[in-house]
Amino acid sequence: MTNRVIYLDNAATSYPKPPEVLDEMFRGYRDLGVSPGRGSYDLAVQAGDVVEGTRQKLARFFGAPDPNRVIFAANATDALNLVFNGLLRPGDHVVSTELEHNSVLRPLHHFRERGWIEYDLASCDGRGFVDPDEIVKHLRPNTRAVVVTHASNVLGTIQPVQQIGARCAERGVPLIVDASQSAGIIPVDMTAWHASAVAFTGHKALFGPTGIGGLVIHPDLDIRASRFGGTGIDSRELEHTPTFPHRLEAGTINVMGILGLSAGLDYIAQRSVHAIHSHEMALVTRLRDGLAGCAHVELYCAASLADHVAVITLNVQGIHPEDAGAILDADFQIAVRVGLHCAPLAHRHLGTLRRGAIRFSPGLFNTPEDIDRAVGALATLSVHK
Amino acid sequence: MPQDAERAQLASDLGREARLVAGREIYFDREGFFWEADDWDEEIAIVLLRESGLAELTETHWKVLRYFREYYFYHGRAPLNRQLKEGIGLSLQVLESLFPGGIRKGARRLAGLPNPKSCF
Repeated sequence: MTNRVIYLDNAATSYPKPPEVLDEMFRGYRDLGVSPGRGSYDLAVQAGDVVEGTRQKLARFFGAPDPNRVIFAANATDALNLVFNGLLRPGDHVVSTELEHNSVLRPLHHFRERGWIEYDLASCDGRGFVDPDEIVKHLRPNTRAVVVTHASNVLGTIQPVQQIGARCAERGVPLIVDASQSAGIIPVDMTAWHASAVAFTGHKALFGPTGIGGLVIHPDLDIRASRFGGTGIDSRELEHTPTFPHRLEAGTINVMGILGLSAGLDYIAQRSVHAIHSHEMALVTRLRDGLAGCAHVELYCAASLADHVAVITLNVQGIHPEDAGAILDADFQIAVRVGLHCAPLAHRHLGTLRRGAIRFSPGLFNTPEDIDRAVGALATLSVHK
Repeated sequence: MPQDAERAQLASDLGREARLVAGREIYFDREGFFWEADDWDEEIAIVLLRESGLAELTETHWKVLRYFREYYFYHGRAPLNRQLKEGIGLSLQVLESLFPGGIRKGARRLAGLPNPKSCF
């Protein structure tokens, strides 16, 4: 047995990062690591070009009409907070789903607890999919937004956002999509989906570093500034810059992160989103099929892996998932994520809210041999219970 | 509010519950983990181990508990998974089966280490 850790927690963050991305981050920051767009010297202009060029890449990547409405944020949670703080007003209503991450559930709870908004959550079916008509049932005249995860970080199920978007567009309700688990693995086309905003993180399937993400906004959606400060322009004015992207960006932005994100997008473009998804789905299918003979392994919503990303969540009967994770780590050098995955209502749906579960999420750099090792480890665990 | 009631309310707000164990008042969190690792001693551990359903305490059990505590007080945190395996000289799969409740809610809790509060 080798000492290499088999990393199967790519739904949390992709690891390792492609060498090309790390090299470009180092090279770019070494050569251009100055404050972008804040000075008239050549380096500042060149650094600004990198930032604006990355906005353009992201706009093309997400099917967005206007690169100036690509807003850099720290991560998807940060981007979603920009939406909630800048869009919702007292008396508003929001519709979301029980599959959401706490990046959505906690802001909504926060606003509701203060009496500012109300919200309803659409249920998913037994296979882990939200029916678009379930969303429609919850809409009210004062519904200000529908917020939906593109792919569940617990079940891996890809939600029918295009159909949800069509229904939202018919009713004039903005659709906000959380693409944390999908961007880089399955195509995201906000125009085709009638999405008003897409929140993404850079450190998962976009292969960038942690600390960079963003929000892509359709020009029809007006989002107020919710943080204020220097933008490098309009400095005589005490009012925060009203134009995009500066309206939603305050302070010096994360140049190192943007360099990595840009390099990650290039890396994906050289391989294609489809090829990456196919590779990962072959691995997760091998895992699912390999576990078919393990009597004490309980898989959730994995009978069919159609319309899934490469995530499988399971439990081994008789072993607490947290202990199973520790055993996999120490005895088998396999890194997985256990617990509630910051999505408690998805676990409530599965009946695993009390104990949690074990999530396997292979990535681009995993091999069939890695999966066979994981199957073997789970078989050993299940036999001994 | 009387002082005792006030203390009880504060403890409840913090998720603490006091229990008498081996004649001493010990605070635990809602999952049964020690609030203060210093409150642990072997007499209390024996009571808690028996409560957990362990009929016989072997030298292996004590070796695990002592390793946890020595590591924790020397390093200021619990051992990593691989350090634990190496330190006790057992696979974690064997460790899991040694204690009712397994590794986290069994061995670690009964060694008096604080609740790791991972993603739950």
